[in-house]
Amino acid sequence: MNEFIELLALPFLASLMLIGIHCQFGLQVLKRNVVFVDLALAQCAALGATLAFMQGHMPQSAGAYAWSLGFAWSAALILSLIRYAPSRIPPEALVGVLYVASTAAAILLIEKAPQGAEHLKQILIGSVLTVSVDELIRVVPLYVGIGFILWLAAHRGWLERTGFAGWVADLGFYAAFGLVVTSSVAMAGVLLVFSFLIIPALIGLLWARTFGNQLLVGWGVGGLAAGTGLWASYVLDTSTGATMVCAFALTLCIALVARVIAEASKNFQMVSRVLGNFAVAVLLASSVWLVAQPRADQPLLDATEAAWPSVRDAYFNVQEKGIYTEAENYVKRYSAEMARLTTLEARSRWQGSAIDDETIRKISSFQQSYNEMIKGERFVMHEIRSRARERLRWTAFFSAVVLCAVMLALTLFWRGKFLSSRRSTVPIRSE
Amino acid sequence: MITFWIDRGRSAVRILSLGFLLLAPPGTQAALSVITTTANLQTLVEAVGGDRVSVVSLVPAGSNAEEYAPRPQDLDRIRGASMVVRVGLDYDLWFDRLLRQSGKPSLLRGGPGHVDASNAIVLLEVKGGGLSGGAHAHGAGNPHYWLDPVNADVITGNIVEALARLDSLNAKYYEQRRIDFLARLEQRIHVWQLKLAPLTGKPLLTYHNNWPYFARRFRLNFIGTIEPRPGIAPSPAALAGLIRRMREEQVSVIVRHPQEPSRDVDFLARKVGARVVILAASVGDLPQAQDYFSLFETNVAALTAAFFGVAR
Repeated sequence: MNEFIELLALPFLASLMLIGIHCQFGLQVLKRNVVFVDLALAQCAALGATLAFMQGHMPQSAGAYAWSLGFAWSAALILSLIRYAPSRIPPEALVGVLYVASTAAAILLIEKAPQGAEHLKQILIGSVLTVSVDELIRVVPLYVGIGFILWLAAHRGWLERTGFAGWVADLGFYAAFGLVVTSSVAMAGVLLVFSFLIIPALIGLLWARTFGNQLLVGWGVGGLAAGTGLWASYVLDTSTGATMVCAFALTLCIALVARVIAEASKNFQMVSRVLGNFAVAVLLASSVWLVAQPRADQPLLDATEAAWPSVRDAYFNVQEKGIYTEAENYVKRYSAEMARLTTLEARSRWQGSAIDDETIRKISSFQQSYNEMIKGERFVMHEIRSRARERLRWTAFFSAVVLCAVMLALTLFWRGKFLSSRRSTVPIRSE
Repeated sequence: MITFWIDRGRSAVRILSLGFLLLAPPGTQAALSVITTTANLQTLVEAVGGDRVSVVSLVPAGSNAEEYAPRPQDLDRIRGASMVVRVGLDYDLWFDRLLRQSGKPSLLRGGPGHVDASNAIVLLEVKGGGLSGGAHAHGAGNPHYWLDPVNADVITGNIVEALARLDSLNAKYYEQRRIDFLARLEQRIHVWQLKLAPLTGKPLLTYHNNWPYFARRFRLNFIGTIEPRPGIAPSPAALAGLIRRMREEQVSVIVRHPQEPSRDVDFLARKVGARVVILAASVGDLPQAQDYFSLFETNVAALTAAFFGVAR
């Protein structure tokens, strides 16, 4: 638990701060329909950093920072001019083109100076898990200042102006966003920053009407999702950025479904009926697939077995179960043997007397044999499972059909009851 | 359009080589054109081939060979070559497609002009499919075998065998150069081993599993890798485990390759108070490492400096 807090307190704080500023930008970005603008700005900043490296500036020096900021601001200038593009083409498409073009340009530059690849990555592949206190302290005044100006702009309606004043406001908006994104992507990475930008803002839009309330909802739910994601990444032992993005997506799903339910129970009934029918169809399709090709991959059955291995007990007979368990144990034994040899060889590199080439070759050939044996045992396991499935496919099929029939009957029954109850209530009211 | 240019390029090469033949004074001949996939192999071919070969590496020095995206001119370069040398062991898989496209059967696997430098190397970490969760995804064994300088014996052996086959007139020349090169290398290996002897058994951590061969030759103790699998960032639990192990085993130095992400490495170094040392895994990764000898000189100097603070 202590380790958990030691490791994740700082990332959580960083996430809260990033959500704080990005949710504000996200609401504006969604309004303007330029969702991928953060990717474009970050990529342009990275392009600037690459060029700076080629000019001989060391990364994280003032020169490198000036170059990447210069490029981000040039991109901001281009983005602010999008408002004058013919309305026949969507602004999002132009943002996308700016992104791919700057990415490709950076790749071409890297080919000329391969050692620069590291510096390109440094800007684009942050990791919130390894954020440092210095990094946080450096950006706090920046974020607070820009956040305040942005709030003022939204409050005073500066961003809704038209004409020249509107263009100036747009330019300021994109320039400020460029400043924020350049530091945030370096801290948290492209994927996570995109989630911070868009998902809390979407949830805010779903659940609140005024700008202030949308912001509050976004901040609250975003903070919750960030905490859950960090915790899940620790418990599940998965990479932090990707887990957090999934947690954000899941949160959005929940918020969306909840909104659909809240909006109208009629929609909810329709959605639940569609989902129910879909489940029945999937069940039927996979039972037909089982009958047709019992030896092929059975995604539904395989996933169920992976989650609850005890499902196998339901359709294996005693003999099959015995063989399967035995093969499973052999796999474990051979794997342990392989691991032992690996450790033995790795230790011999520095401990005791060195192992000669002949022995190394022997170890390798042992490991390869073990590997083949493991493959063999895996084949046995697969074969046993396929045979059991072949044996029981018709039973499974008919039970699935019966189950579907029951569900169908229940649906029809409820519908009939619903209709007849409506019919019977109408005359009572008229009396 | 592309084929047109390639054809033009080919005829240009032909005319050029014809010109060479005409211009060359009697007794000498045009250099044998060799393509290698990496700069490491390039320096080794140059070491044994001398001025009788002209060698080009497809992957520019300092680039990641495993993620290399071939360019149109690569095809042209291969078509103009009489011999190709590759790392093998799934390290340069993209090379197979290029070779097939080039349409020169002699350069395909099994052909007289194809050299798989990993042939007859004593491989480490052969797991076949990486089932036991090994830190490198290559099923056929860890591919960074050039980082054991003793393996240069086998690598140059493979190269000289093919050179002698294609250019039998100069076979003696190649073999003599190889013997000289290996003799020089042997002396240096002895020096490097002496310099690194005080580091024997001292625990080190690395980001990517580049170093098993280097570790075996110089008796270094890499206790693990930071990335759980190639290209995958460590999870919080994995990082916590690494911090614990680093504190338990008192790891004071973390090894990083210049192109590997610095964030995770710096984070661990900060937490545990370890130093980060940047080593070149290939020729050209660092400006000081320009050939096979300086590759090891650079790494040996950097490692000893990291442990004992000796000025480089």
